[in-house]
Amino acid sequence: MTALYSGTFLPLGVLVWPLLVGLVAMVVWSRGALWVLPLAPVPALGFVVAGAPGSVVVPDLLLGVHLGIVPGGALLLGMTALVWTVAGMHAALTLRAGPQAAVFAGFWCVTLAGNLGVFLAGDIVTFYLAFAAVSLAAWFLVIHERTQKALAAGRQYITLAVLGEAALLVGLMIGAAAAEDLHIASVRAALVDAPLGPLGVAALVLGFGIKAGMVPLHLWLPVAHPAAPVPGSAVLSGAIVNAGLIGMMLFVPDGTGWGDVLVAAGLVGGFGAALWGLTQRNPKAVLAYSTISQMGLMLMLVGAGSAGVAYYAFHHGLAKAALFLCVGVMAAAQTPRQRGATLGLVVLVALSVAGLPLTGGGVAKLAGKQGLPDALSLVLTLSSMTTTLVLVWFVLRLAQAPAPPLAPSPLWRSLFAGAAVLGGLALVAPWAVWGHATGLPTGYPAQPANMFAGIWPLLAGLGAAALIPGQRLPEYPPGDILALLRWRGGGWSGRAGAARSAAPRRHWRRAVLRALLHVRRLETHMRPWPRAGWVLIVTALTFSGLVLWTL
Amino acid sequence: MTAALPVLIVLTSLVPACVTFFLAQDSHRLRNGLNLSGAVLKLALIVWMLFAVAGGASYEATLPLAPGLVILLRVDALALLFISLSAALWFATTIYAIAYFGKKAELSRFFGFFSLCVAATTGLALSGSLISFFIFFELLTLSTWPLVAHKQDKPSLAAARAYLAYALPGSAALLWAIIWLESATGPVLFTDPPDLSVLEPGALRAIFALFIIGVGVKAALVPLHGWLPAAMAAPAPVSALLHAVAVVKAGAFGVVRVIYDVFGAGNVVALGVGWPLAVLASVTILWGSLRALQQDEIKKRLAYSTVSQVSYIILGAALASPLAMIGGLVHLIHQGLMKITLFFCAGIYDERAGVKKITGLNGMGRRLPWTSVCFSLGAMGMIGLPPMAGFVSKFYLGLGGLQAGAPWVLGVLAASTLLNAAYFLPLLYRLWVLPAPEDAKGDERAPGLVVPAVVTAAASLGVGLLAASPISPLSWATLIVTREYGP
Repeated sequence: MTALYSGTFLPLGVLVWPLLVGLVAMVVWSRGALWVLPLAPVPALGFVVAGAPGSVVVPDLLLGVHLGIVPGGALLLGMTALVWTVAGMHAALTLRAGPQAAVFAGFWCVTLAGNLGVFLAGDIVTFYLAFAAVSLAAWFLVIHERTQKALAAGRQYITLAVLGEAALLVGLMIGAAAAEDLHIASVRAALVDAPLGPLGVAALVLGFGIKAGMVPLHLWLPVAHPAAPVPGSAVLSGAIVNAGLIGMMLFVPDGTGWGDVLVAAGLVGGFGAALWGLTQRNPKAVLAYSTISQMGLMLMLVGAGSAGVAYYAFHHGLAKAALFLCVGVMAAAQTPRQRGATLGLVVLVALSVAGLPLTGGGVAKLAGKQGLPDALSLVLTLSSMTTTLVLVWFVLRLAQAPAPPLAPSPLWRSLFAGAAVLGGLALVAPWAVWGHATGLPTGYPAQPANMFAGIWPLLAGLGAAALIPGQRLPEYPPGDILALLRWRGGGWSGRAGAARSAAPRRHWRRAVLRALLHVRRLETHMRPWPRAGWVLIVTALTFSGLVLWTL
Repeated sequence: MTAALPVLIVLTSLVPACVTFFLAQDSHRLRNGLNLSGAVLKLALIVWMLFAVAGGASYEATLPLAPGLVILLRVDALALLFISLSAALWFATTIYAIAYFGKKAELSRFFGFFSLCVAATTGLALSGSLISFFIFFELLTLSTWPLVAHKQDKPSLAAARAYLAYALPGSAALLWAIIWLESATGPVLFTDPPDLSVLEPGALRAIFALFIIGVGVKAALVPLHGWLPAAMAAPAPVSALLHAVAVVKAGAFGVVRVIYDVFGAGNVVALGVGWPLAVLASVTILWGSLRALQQDEIKKRLAYSTVSQVSYIILGAALASPLAMIGGLVHLIHQGLMKITLFFCAGIYDERAGVKKITGLNGMGRRLPWTSVCFSLGAMGMIGLPPMAGFVSKFYLGLGGLQAGAPWVLGVLAASTLLNAAYFLPLLYRLWVLPAPEDAKGDERAPGLVVPAVVTAAASLGVGLLAASPISPLSWATLIVTREYGP
C-alpha cells in the first residue's frame, strides 16, 4: 500500500478551493453567488506570496497527479490570481443576480481552477485537465449575456476550443508514448527525437496557439472577448490567454525549428493585429486586437528563447485586465470628473503597455529583450509604435463611448478602485520583482540607451496617432479573416452583408450535408444484410453436409 | 466451495429468473425482493472473489452436458472484469426497472427474461471453453428477444424480428467457426490455447473472419449493426442493459476472448488479421458517430453512439499492444458506466417529462437538474474529457496505437472526439442554455429512477478521477494484461 500522497497539500488546496467556492455559488447559496467570487483566488494569492512553496504527488488521482509550481509559473500564477480577484469584485458589483448569475459564478470558478492549474501541473494529464477546464468552462463566460451576438461568439469559441482540445490530446499522446512517462519535462524532451515528434509538436502548437490567439488561429478571440461581460473579458484577455502561452513555454522543445514558426507567427500577429485594431469601433474589440498583438510579441519571445517571457506576460496580464475593466468603469461613470479620471487611468496604463521607460511595461520590454538576437530586439522596440497607435485609438473610442443613463454613484468608486489597483500594480509590481526575476541591476532600466530605445518609438507612435483624427479609418466587423471572407467587396453593410456572407458558408454546409446523406444512403443499402446471413447459414449447412459426407 | 463458486454466481441470476416466471403478475413485492436479493448476493460474491483473484486464486467448475461436451465455468481476471460490471449494473438496472414499470402488465415475464439475460451474460463471461461460450451466447440471444419485444406493439415486434434476423446468422457463423476449428484441434479451452499449426494460414484467416462475423453482430460492428438502433423500440431499462452490459458487451467480450484466448495475440498479428479488424473497428467508430449526428431521437442518437463506442474495445483488442489492450478492456467498464447513465437519463426524460426528441430537451436542466447533471457527465465522458472515465480509455488506446505502430489510430481518436463533441454538446447546450418552452412540465420525483442514474454517473466520474488507484478498473485491466497476456 503506497501512501495516499506525498509532499504538501498546499498546491492541491489552491485548486480545490475555487471548485468548492463554485459549488457553494451554484448549489448552496445561489442568491449571493457573485459575492463569493473574489474569495476564490485567495489561496492562490497566499500561495504565491509565500513563495509558491512545496509540491504534492497524489499517485491515486487521475493517472498520478503531480502538482508544484512550473518553471516561470510563479509570476504568472500571482498575476492570474490578482486579475481574477479584482475581476471577481467587478463581477459581483456589476452583474445582475439571479439563476443565470449562479451558473456564471459556478463556471467562473471552474475556469479559474483550470487557469491556476496550468501553472501548477507537473504531469501532462493534470495539465490537460486544467487546460480543458479553463478552455471549455470559459464558454459560459462568453455566452453569459445570451444575446444573439454572444451566442454566435460562443459557437465560434467552443468550436475552436474543442478543436484545440483534440489537437492537444494528439500531441500529448505522441509525447507520452515517446517518453513512456507522464512528466511534462520528459514529454518535452522526448518530442525532440520521437519519430512522430514533429507531428506532435505541430498538434501542440495548434492547441496552444488557438488559446493564445496566435495568428492565424486567433479568429475567435476578437469576437469572443468583447462578447463576454466586462469582468469576463478582463479574465479572458488578461489571464486565460496565458494558458496557451505557458503551454508553448512548457512543451515546445528548443532547436526543432518550431521556435522559428512561433517567431514568424508572432511577428505577423504582433504588428498586423495592432494595425487591424484600427478598423474596429467597439473599444473592447480594439483591446482584443491589442491582446492578439501583445500575445504575438510574447510568442515571438518564446520562439526566440527570451528569458523574460513570464515577466513580460506578468505585466501585460495586469495591464490588459485593468484596461478591460476600465471599459466597465467608464460605463458606470456619470460625472465628467469620473469620466476624466477613468480616462486618466486608461492613458497611464496604456502608456505602460506601450513601453514608456521606467513604467512596468517599459521594464518588461527590457526584460523581454534578454537573450534575444539583436534583430528581434529591435523588432520589440519598434512594436511600441504600433502598440501606441492601437491604444491611442482605444482611448479615443472609449472617450467617445456614450455616457450611460443613471447608475448608482458609489458603484463607480468601487469599480474604479479595482481597476486602479490592477493598473497601479501593472505600473509598479514589475519593479518589485525586477531583481529577483531578471537578475539585472536596478539601475539598468534607467541607462540612457534603454531610456532612448523606449521613448522614441512611443513618440513616433504618438506622432502617427496624431494623424488619426483627420483620417477616415475603414470599419470591419471583428474576426478579420472570417469577416473578410464574408465581406467579399462592396463593404460591410449590415443585413445585406450578412446575406452575402451566408453564400460560402451555405456552400460548405451543403457539402457536409451531402456527405452525411451518402452515409445514410449507404446504411439503407446495408439493411438486406440479414438476408446475406441466411445465405451464409445455407452455405454453412451445405458445407457441413459435404464435410460429413466425405468423412 | 471453490468449485461451486462459479456455478453459484450463475445461479444467483438463474434461480430468480426461473422462479419469477411462475409468480403472479401482482405479487410485486415477492418478485422485486427475489430479484434484488439475487443481485445483492451476486455482488457480494463478486466482491469476495475480486480480492481472492487479486491474490492469485482461480475457480473452476465442470458440468457434464453430454458425452464429450462439458460446460466449463472458470473465474479468471478477465471474466471477473466483465461480471463485476454486469453484476453492479444489473443491480442498478433492477432498481431502475422496478421504478420504471411500476405496476404495468406482464412484469413476471419481463423480470424473468431480464434475469435470464443476466444469467446468460454471466455464464458467457465465465465460460472457460469455446463450447460453453457458444451455449451461453445462444441463451443470451434467445432471452433478449422477449425483452426487445416487451411492449408488443408494432415497432417493438419489428425490432425484435430484426434482432433475430441479425443474431441467428451470426450464431451460425460462430458455430461454423467453432466446428471448423475444433474439428482440427480438438476442444478449445481458454486456459490452454489450441495448437493452430495444424491448420493452413488461409483456413485460420477464414475461421477468424467467421468468428468475428459471429460475435461482431452482437458487438454491432459496421455493417452488422442494423439491429441495434432498431432495438431502441424496447423500454428504457432494456436499452440500458442491452447497451451497457448484456448483448453489445457480450459481443465485444467475445472479440477479446477470440483474439487473446483462442488465437493468441501473437498469432493474430502473425496472420495479419489484426490490422484489418482494427480498421473495421475504426470505420465503425466513425460511422456510428456520423450516424449519431443525424438522429433527432435521443435514444437513437445514444444507440449509434454505442455502435461507435463499443468498437473502442474491439480496436484495443485488435491492436494487440499491451497499452491498447488495457485501454480496450478498461473501456468495457467505462463505456458501460457512462452509457447506462445516459440511457437511464433518456428514460427519465421520457417518463417524467414526456420528451423523446432532442428538441424537447430545451431548458430541461432547470426542471430536472439531477438527471441533467448526470446526462452531462455521461456525455462529457463520451467525448473523452478528463476527469471522466472516457478520457482514460482514450488516452490508453492512443498510447497503445502508437505502441503497436499504428499512429493513424490517433487520427481516428481525434476525429471521434470531435464527432462526439458535435453530437453531445448541442444536447448540453439545449439542456442548460436554451430557454424552456412555455408549456414545459416534468419533475424528477421518482427516486427509483434518479438514484441509479446518479450512482452510475458518480461511478463514471469516480473511476476516471481515481484511475490510478489500486481498486480502479484501470488497475484491474492492467493486472489482466500483465498477468495473463503480458510478456
